Amino acid sequence: MTTLAIDNTFDDPARRAPLVLNHTDFGSVTNDICAVNEAPKAPRAWYIAFAISVMFLGILGGLILYLFATGIGVWGNQNPVMWGFPIVNFVFWVGIGHAGTLISAILHLFRQKWRTGINRFAEAMTIFAVICAGMFPGIHIGRVWVFYWMFPMPNQMEMWPQFRSPLLWDVFAVGTYFTVSLLFWYMGMIPDLATLRDRARTRVRAIAYGIFALGWRSSMRHWHRYERAYLLLAALATPLVLSVHSVVSFDFAVSQIPGWHTTIFPPYFVAGAIFSGFAMVMTLAVPARQLWGLKDFITLRHLENMNKIILVTGSMVGYAYIMEFFIAWYSGSLYESFAFINRATGQYAWAYWIMVSCNVIVPQIFWFRKARQSIAIMFVASLLVNVGMWFERFVIIVTSLAQDFLPSSWGYFKPTWVDLLMLAGSFGLFMTLFLLFCRFLPIIAIAEVKHTMPEADPHSHGGTDEHHREARA
Amino acid sequence: MSPLDHNRPRGKAYWRSLDDLADTPEFREFVFREFPAGATEMLDSGERRQFLKIMGASLALAGFGLAGCRRWPKEQIAPFANRPEGRVPGAPEYYATSMELGGVADGLLVTSFDGRPVKIEGNPEHPVSRGGSGVEAQASVLELYDPDRSRYPMLRETDSRHQSSWHAFETWATKHFDSLGNAKGGGLAVLSEATESPSVGDMRARVMKRFPRAAWYEYEPINTDHEMAGSNAAFGATYRPQYSFNRAKVVVSLDSDFLLASRAMVRNTRDFAQGRKRLLDGTSTRLYVFESAFSLTGANADNRFAVRSRDVSAIAALLAARLVPDAAASASAREQSDRATPEVLGLDAAVLDQVVSDLKQSRGDSIVLAGPRQPAEVHVLAALINEHLGSVGRTVRYTPLPDATQSVPSITSLTKDLDSGRIHTLVILGGNPAYDAPADLDFAGKLSSQRLKSVHLSIYDNETSRLCTWHLPRAHYLESWADGRAWDGTWSIAQPLIEPLFGGRSPLELLAVMEGGDVRAGYDIVRRTMSESAKRTDFEQAWRRTLHDGFLAGSAATLMRPDVRRPACIAAVESIWQQWAPAPAGEMELVFVPDTKVYDGRFANNGWLQELPDPMTKLTWDNAVLAGVEAAGRLGVTTGDRVRVTHGDRQVEAAVCVMPGQCSNSVTLSLGYGRPHGGTIAEGAGFDFYALRTADAMGFTTGAVEKISGHYPLAQTQDHHAIDSTAGKGTQARLPSLFREATLQQFKDNPRFANDHHHTGAHAVHRLSLWNETNLEGAVYAWAMSIDLNACTGCSACVVACQAENNIPIVGKDQVLRGREMHWLRIDRYFQGHDPETPRSVGMQPIPCMMCENAPCEQVCPVAATTHDKDGLNVMVYNRCVGTRYCSNNCPYKVRRFNYFDYWKRGPEREMGLLHVKPDYYTKPQTDMHPLRRMQMNPEVTVRSRGVMEKCTYCIQRISVAKIEAKNAWVKMTPEQKQRQPRATVPDGSLTTACAQACPAQAIIFGDMNDPTSRVSDAFKGARSYQMLEEINTKPRTRYLAKLRDPAPVGAQEAGSAGHEEPNHG
Repeated sequence: MTTLAIDNTFDDPARRAPLVLNHTDFGSVTNDICAVNEAPKAPRAWYIAFAISVMFLGILGGLILYLFATGIGVWGNQNPVMWGFPIVNFVFWVGIGHAGTLISAILHLFRQKWRTGINRFAEAMTIFAVICAGMFPGIHIGRVWVFYWMFPMPNQMEMWPQFRSPLLWDVFAVGTYFTVSLLFWYMGMIPDLATLRDRARTRVRAIAYGIFALGWRSSMRHWHRYERAYLLLAALATPLVLSVHSVVSFDFAVSQIPGWHTTIFPPYFVAGAIFSGFAMVMTLAVPARQLWGLKDFITLRHLENMNKIILVTGSMVGYAYIMEFFIAWYSGSLYESFAFINRATGQYAWAYWIMVSCNVIVPQIFWFRKARQSIAIMFVASLLVNVGMWFERFVIIVTSLAQDFLPSSWGYFKPTWVDLLMLAGSFGLFMTLFLLFCRFLPIIAIAEVKHTMPEADPHSHGGTDEHHREARA
Repeated sequence: MSPLDHNRPRGKAYWRSLDDLADTPEFREFVFREFPAGATEMLDSGERRQFLKIMGASLALAGFGLAGCRRWPKEQIAPFANRPEGRVPGAPEYYATSMELGGVADGLLVTSFDGRPVKIEGNPEHPVSRGGSGVEAQASVLELYDPDRSRYPMLRETDSRHQSSWHAFETWATKHFDSLGNAKGGGLAVLSEATESPSVGDMRARVMKRFPRAAWYEYEPINTDHEMAGSNAAFGATYRPQYSFNRAKVVVSLDSDFLLASRAMVRNTRDFAQGRKRLLDGTSTRLYVFESAFSLTGANADNRFAVRSRDVSAIAALLAARLVPDAAASASAREQSDRATPEVLGLDAAVLDQVVSDLKQSRGDSIVLAGPRQPAEVHVLAALINEHLGSVGRTVRYTPLPDATQSVPSITSLTKDLDSGRIHTLVILGGNPAYDAPADLDFAGKLSSQRLKSVHLSIYDNETSRLCTWHLPRAHYLESWADGRAWDGTWSIAQPLIEPLFGGRSPLELLAVMEGGDVRAGYDIVRRTMSESAKRTDFEQAWRRTLHDGFLAGSAATLMRPDVRRPACIAAVESIWQQWAPAPAGEMELVFVPDTKVYDGRFANNGWLQELPDPMTKLTWDNAVLAGVEAAGRLGVTTGDRVRVTHGDRQVEAAVCVMPGQCSNSVTLSLGYGRPHGGTIAEGAGFDFYALRTADAMGFTTGAVEKISGHYPLAQTQDHHAIDSTAGKGTQARLPSLFREATLQQFKDNPRFANDHHHTGAHAVHRLSLWNETNLEGAVYAWAMSIDLNACTGCSACVVACQAENNIPIVGKDQVLRGREMHWLRIDRYFQGHDPETPRSVGMQPIPCMMCENAPCEQVCPVAATTHDKDGLNVMVYNRCVGTRYCSNNCPYKVRRFNYFDYWKRGPEREMGLLHVKPDYYTKPQTDMHPLRRMQMNPEVTVRSRGVMEKCTYCIQRISVAKIEAKNAWVKMTPEQKQRQPRATVPDGSLTTACAQACPAQAIIFGDMNDPTSRVSDAFKGARSYQMLEEINTKPRTRYLAKLRDPAPVGAQEAGSAGHEEPNHG
């Protein structure tokens, strides 16, 4: 396979930009993508990354055991900051989990064909991020052995959960989101799993992929059902993208702590979630396309489009930051104004300014085309946005709690080594799952990406696309 | 099964001899002696073996038929075959007793469950305590069950120390004292704690009769030597002043912390709070305080002036000169007195004029009192001023103290006698002189002399015990018969509620051994003393009455009005001006104060007291060098930095704690910490400033403080934010709304100031709810609490009372540093004003659960673990709680406490490891609660496990008992009565919470809001009643009564208050 440096980032509305480069037939697309899974050995970098990830996963597992055995005092949580790192991490990971479903569902409904290059692993990222997210509320409660009391199920105590609590809504919102995202991801993967099954050289692979391919035979009827179901799920998933983080934001907005009690939270959280999700997709896509030679499918145009979304959502988040200050002033409430002045100038000002610089200032670089198209800049920027978005949750949760109404109760939250290692461990869990996914599942939607090729269009024969003509010649 | 079950005294399956079966003391001693000497000492951590021994002792007691006095928690329920008459298992019983501390007995009422004393209150009948109590009394029940208590007599031989037995001691003592008796007691000395106990006095006389040449000494590190010396000088006899703060219109405290560091603290606080009520009628009531350390009394002052302790005598002399013509300085002294200008003293020029004019205006209704630190001359002048102003007989009276001994001269002469070798046998009754005697006496060195035979009776095997030939375990006051004199002289009885847990004996019983008479039991001694003294025909009846009441009615000392001897006063003034000189610049004064928690160090192993935040510094688990804001700046230190305090050639390295309002040329050093052998709780706590305290300067002295490298974490439960920081400004901005107070003038202008939103800066309230609020209509009871900030002094007795009542664990310094203290009730302390050096005022605000009718915590709990009950209480269902902690986040008052670990099952830890977490703290196996600690638990209250949120319940266990009683009473009523009273009601005042019960100021009122005649309803109707954070519509059931102050328009203190920055300087 030769990779020609072809620029598909032009902005000429008269020309349709190619979304797959250097491929003129479906067979080579299949071959190139399946090669990632079919190669007898993964690249050396994969093994190194996997070893590190598994190590952190092991640390996480050990720490969870330690936590269960001793009590949640191993964290830095205290009075008044009863929620510390676990909930910061929870909101952070839920936010990351937004890009996948947004890309697959909303962009699908809007017929944004460029999504096909990135949707599969963005969705995978969503699933894994939500797993990381879901873990934290589960283990952060004081008596983990009765965590199921938070679910509405019949029991001998004849007790229902308390339906007014946003935490319960969280259980529903995250649970639904995870279920739908998982279904959506898995269903979209069925034709590709069948492809892998058909190309399997060993019996084990054939059986394993065969089971998950659910007997897909690529018949017209299958495709018809598949397309319908996919559309329906996309329609189902779309409101969820908006709802899940809105509900997560209710954990804060419904309470009455200054700095939490604000109506801007639902849209602000959703924007922030998309923002962080795209940043994470970027963080993963840049090395992945390098590692497995997928630059033809995840092209610079894809990356540039994502950068534009990062710029937009980053600015929305910045707007929300400013609006919070305005409302704090406008409310005339002593406590509300203090909460925000204190964020910017008080004991946690360092966290606030990390957040603002990473989330508001850094994305502004994407106003420049050069920056949008520079792999190095976008990778660094995406990392910074990830950092900034983690700090956003830290700022919201910790600074609001640390200094609320009565000055006598004010405290200063400091994480413990367990907090820090668990955060690292959650990345270990995430990366382990993601690396396994890259190794064993099609990381690009083979079937879907073919739709975006001129060859998929029945009218494209001898097509008008100059590039394709050139390529053919 | 609990470990107790394995060890239950149920007889032994095998025995080695018949004696073993009987388990006689002789046999046990033989078993002990089988091991090499000292080996038994190594059993400190061997809980099982220690416990076996306790159980062995209990088996022995069972043999004497005394098992009924002690109940070990058991899993099985074994009902009595024949229930003792009048005994209801599980029903609490109450006994009146008393606790002697520093020579003064406090009348107490102890609650006992099945033979276990679990809770201590002030005795409501007692003329001094009248139901109030201080922190020491509240916490003393924990001492009874302290696993670190000494369990066996210890014998020190030439090079080793080993466990012995009472039998061995008695054998030795009989022989030894017999031989001493032959020598008429030559070479024998007794060193006692200060005591006014008539029985000890009687026993002392008997011992002295046998040993006429013996000597008796008394030592108390926190003593009233200066007061006694002053009294002797002024009156020619020792008197104790009795102040009536409730009647005083002007009180001038010369370095006296009479609201906390006084053995009359309970009475003073109650009287003071009563006196402050006069402000409500618009009458001026003013407290002036001149002091160096910021004491609790200073915090309650209307005008407080931070001056050096050494300058207080000059102030006293200046005041006396202005008030009493006789006390004017002689010509020779005038030169010196002229140098005591206001600038030199650090006072505003008008201050003394104001104080003098106030005192003159309220002739006869004023009190001038001097603190125990101040030299005798200041006490003389205080007595003189009081007499001259006609206060004696009105606000100041005196009771005689004929037998009182001054501590420092006493121990000094004892040390001399030890030195000269005149004494070869020393019996120490209690106390810990090796630790707390004046440093220059080197008492510990003298005590460890090989020639000296010494006996130390003590609850703990402490610093002194280790140096003595014999250490004997002392019975706790809850285990022994004793008596004492209350502050007013009332003869108060201490009766045991439980057999001595470790076979300890009381000082009376030890004295009986020395006397060698037939009467050996504490009971007989106390009874004999009283019968000999009373000499009444109906003695038996009077004795029973005394036991029931806890004191002998009418035994208070006669109130007297001795005359001040004028020559003594003139001599005092001369002496003051001879000694006083303006302090050289840069000189640092060291002021020694008793600790507000561990007193003189004797309570250092009491976890409740260690974890109790100091009322002013909010410091737990340590003491520190308290330095003023300016002084800290000068030294270049902040809270937690290490400093070296030097006095002569003695020095102590300690940590500094910056304290607003502390005099800038003076540091405060609280005593009682840094104990080398204090026990597991006291280990490593704080710094020992006794090392700087010499016999000639027990109150204050001069020294130097310098910064050294290093940092020492200090666990404060409330941070003090720098005044110019965002947090500091934010705090000051919201204080007028949270802690509402006004000056007398503002109150007169606007009696409704507390609810005047313009005044307080609080928002107007819109009663609008987004959801259906809890429906409380038709509720039978509506429990509510009113806290009078005008009465509360901040003494913290309520905090310990709550801890004792509700089985609240201590968490340890490490966890307090993490903000995880568990106190259900806390006292918020706010410094108000914009000058950190001289805070305008101090706010003390007890915060229990607000019991919001619209409780924010309830809305957010996903499992409905916190809900409203029918009485409108916000209750916490521990069983249902999964520990999401959302309720605490949403609580605007932050009153909820989370049990991060099983705090009951872990010892409190001080040390911090990697990243402030000590791993083995968390990895340590969670053993079950110590069996002894379990005995202290209030059986009416759940012991919460880890991972569960807890909070103040308004003592719901007491509410339940009261409701059941009311219902039972109602059911038994006749139909006519029922018609008049259609439902069961709890009479107002018959039910109260632990905090309200303990409060010596009676600042907390608890009752039924539904009853329009209840005291709490009355309080709520008052103009001063306000709800904290009412603008967020939580509808709290705990409300506050705003504070009033009556500051004189002088001094550095701004007179404005409550949000008004009115420059009102005179």
